[in-house]
Amino acid sequence: MSLFNWLRTKKPGLDSTQQQRLEQLCKPSPLGNEPLRSQRWVVVDLETSGLNLNRDQVLSIGAVVIEDGAVDFSQMFERTLQRAETRLSPSVLIHGLGPSAIAAGSDPAEALLDFMEFVGDSPLLAFHAPFDQHMLCRALKDSLGYRLAHPFLDVADIAPLLCPDAHIREAGLDDWINHFNLHVGERHHASADALATAELMLILFSRARAQHIDTPQALLERLSQWKRRKHAPSF
Amino acid sequence: MRDDNDKKTAVTVMSKADAYAQAGKTAVLQNIHGTLQFLQRFPPFNQMENAHLAFLVEQCQLRFYSPGDSILKPSGGPVEHFYIVKQGRVVGERPDSAETTFEITTGECFPLAALLGERATRTEHKAAEDTFCLQLNKPAFIKLFALSSPFRDFALRGVSSLLDQVNQQVQQKAVETLGTQYSLNTRLGELAMRHPVTCSPTTPLREAVTLMHEQQVGSIVIVDEHKAPLGIFTLRDLRQVVADGTSDFSRAIEGHMTQAPFFLTPDHSAFDAAIAMTERHIAHVCLVKEQRLCGVVSERDLFSLQRVDLVHLARTIRNAPRVDNLVAIRGEIGQLVERMLAHGASSTQITHIITLLNDHTVCRVIELTLAEKGDPGVPFSWLCFGSEGRREQTLYTDQDNGILFDAKDAAEAAEMRGRLLPLAQQINQSLALCGFSLCKGNIMAGNPELCLSRAEWARRFAAFIREATPENLLGSSIYFDLRVVWGDERGCEQLRQGILDQVADNRLFQRMLAENALRQRPPVGRFREFVLTRKGGEKATLDLKVQGLTPFVDGARLLALANGIHANNTLERLRQLVVKEVIEPLDGAAYEEAYHFIQQTRMQQHQLQTRENQPYSNRVDPDSLNHLDRRILRESLRQAQRLQSSLTLRYQL
Repeated sequence: MSLFNWLRTKKPGLDSTQQQRLEQLCKPSPLGNEPLRSQRWVVVDLETSGLNLNRDQVLSIGAVVIEDGAVDFSQMFERTLQRAETRLSPSVLIHGLGPSAIAAGSDPAEALLDFMEFVGDSPLLAFHAPFDQHMLCRALKDSLGYRLAHPFLDVADIAPLLCPDAHIREAGLDDWINHFNLHVGERHHASADALATAELMLILFSRARAQHIDTPQALLERLSQWKRRKHAPSF
Repeated sequence: MRDDNDKKTAVTVMSKADAYAQAGKTAVLQNIHGTLQFLQRFPPFNQMENAHLAFLVEQCQLRFYSPGDSILKPSGGPVEHFYIVKQGRVVGERPDSAETTFEITTGECFPLAALLGERATRTEHKAAEDTFCLQLNKPAFIKLFALSSPFRDFALRGVSSLLDQVNQQVQQKAVETLGTQYSLNTRLGELAMRHPVTCSPTTPLREAVTLMHEQQVGSIVIVDEHKAPLGIFTLRDLRQVVADGTSDFSRAIEGHMTQAPFFLTPDHSAFDAAIAMTERHIAHVCLVKEQRLCGVVSERDLFSLQRVDLVHLARTIRNAPRVDNLVAIRGEIGQLVERMLAHGASSTQITHIITLLNDHTVCRVIELTLAEKGDPGVPFSWLCFGSEGRREQTLYTDQDNGILFDAKDAAEAAEMRGRLLPLAQQINQSLALCGFSLCKGNIMAGNPELCLSRAEWARRFAAFIREATPENLLGSSIYFDLRVVWGDERGCEQLRQGILDQVADNRLFQRMLAENALRQRPPVGRFREFVLTRKGGEKATLDLKVQGLTPFVDGARLLALANGIHANNTLERLRQLVVKEVIEPLDGAAYEEAYHFIQQTRMQQHQLQTRENQPYSNRVDPDSLNHLDRRILRESLRQAQRLQSSLTLRYQL
């Protein structure tokens, strides 16, 4: 069996309907030059079994949509994924998903298909996005054989880019929530974190407009510049 | 065959989709639930059904506004959304001025009037700080309006339903701390536990007294064969019988009983009975239902209930042998009010009682002065004006009084005045000793200008209405709330009828009164929450009486005078205005509750000042109130604003 063939093989566990749904998923559209407000964004947060990028698993996905410049409460996503072989690890204390909740969850393939249908062609936003991006990529590849190519922007970069006067270094989501004095409810699950991140983004989009960053493309460019400068050796 | 297969797949997909939708639903609920819980901290959302509230949240969008961002503006066309402030602060600015007219904060919503009126907002709504609003589209608002009655009530009545809630809370608190049996609102039917002791009119006196003795009661009710009360015989009557030296105890009780005893129904409240006893100087009230006696409530039943020695106090006042005694008793009235407030009595009940006790004091002072100085030989009535006339006195009150008498002509009037004035001046001085401070404006019966014959009063009042000078307008706002405290009431009623007839005919005077009623603007909204006055280095405060109550009092007086309403009391005027369909029932109820709340706050403030030995003042620092009270005070003041703007509209000012 050649490597090529292996890649072409249908993932075991995907029935024909799932296969069909997989094939019908939208291609991501690149960040364009329309006004920021008309871009639909999906803000995502994951709960995982741990922080190991290679071993740990996605346990739940929470996502909210920013569309027309507002968080739309009629578009909310949350799934807990059924994981047979999850070990009970200390991280259960953080994500709060006990073995019973995980056993009662959805089939991972179905949940991930639902999620990608929910995402559509929209770009993704997350706080500390590289982690979520990596875990999501792996889960999609393992369960669906799907390669995630959607733009994935990191709110942890956008925030200091647009608020240089905040002077909080290596700030976590909680630091930004405090900085903007956001009143958020209990945050013990992925969807609540996604909502908090989305509220933070609403403020940041307003800041972006005030700084004449008017399109998703412009935001992306400014973000790359900022990251280059940050990583350039300073003298 | 192929069709069938397709259908089958369709069915399986459907059921799976349903299952996902179901699973999704429970999961989504976590964020919806969080928002739901947030909303449930605020009215009207805390009274709405969960399903309706979930519908609301699911239809919402969450929007962010930076300081200065415009949320709604008059040029934006008919309002298409309903907003709830999730966090932050929204202020309203009129297009013609940059002045802030109102402020909306966390948990509050806008713009109800524009949304219900399907029009643009009249005020620009701007974010005053970083603000998040939940935004509900109009179709969803309309659906919710149809579905949820608490939501509908709130949208239509605004603050009023908010006040309802507080009143319920206050009553509940009183019940919790004192137990239901300590409420002045207790039904009399629940108080009169024992069967009343009765006998027939022909029962011999000895037998009746024996019955009372055996049953250990202070009264016996004489009833006919249908159990209808004919009379009452009490221990006090027995004392009288003994004192009179009646030796024949075998005679029928009929001859010694008090005929046609006063009665109430079992549905009247303990408060009603206490007031009746105080007014009538009686110690027993019969309870009658469908013309049959069903109970007797005694003074002692009420005492054990309330430990508020109201009846005793009234009787002590009426029997006080000297003015000195009255002075001593005044202190007890303060304690009584304190106890009643602690027992959860309402401001209306308390002003009512203060008015009653004050009336008794005035009457007693007049009687004592007459006894000391001798009868002037001129029948006269003692009038009171202002808050006393409206029966809205608090403990701290000025004298506003006058004398009314009948005279044939000017010469006779002058002669009578000469005889009455020394007496009136003496009464004014004695009242001052009893705690009714002398009126700084000299609105007192001892002033020759306020000791007038009926013709003279009528002429004076007619001049007020005819020549609307600022002094006359001020005068009308004091004198037109006149009432008789002591003496014959007919002359006063004729004067009042004259006033009503003339005001109804005089649109110009009404307009001037309306302008006058707009002088005191309720202090809401221009600066943060309240517009406060700062004196020197003192804390910023607002005047509950002048800025809060006066707009209601003035507005109600104007509308009452213009519509032929005889009542003086502001709340009574509002009620009758509703009956006459001059104001909407919902508005009337909202005004009443708002007035009531401001008055209650003012009294609590007075009690606090007394306890802390501070001089009494109507000024309150809103920051000293708790969050809910502060918000309600603000909303109550807004009702005063609404009343004023309705006057502006009515009189095209």
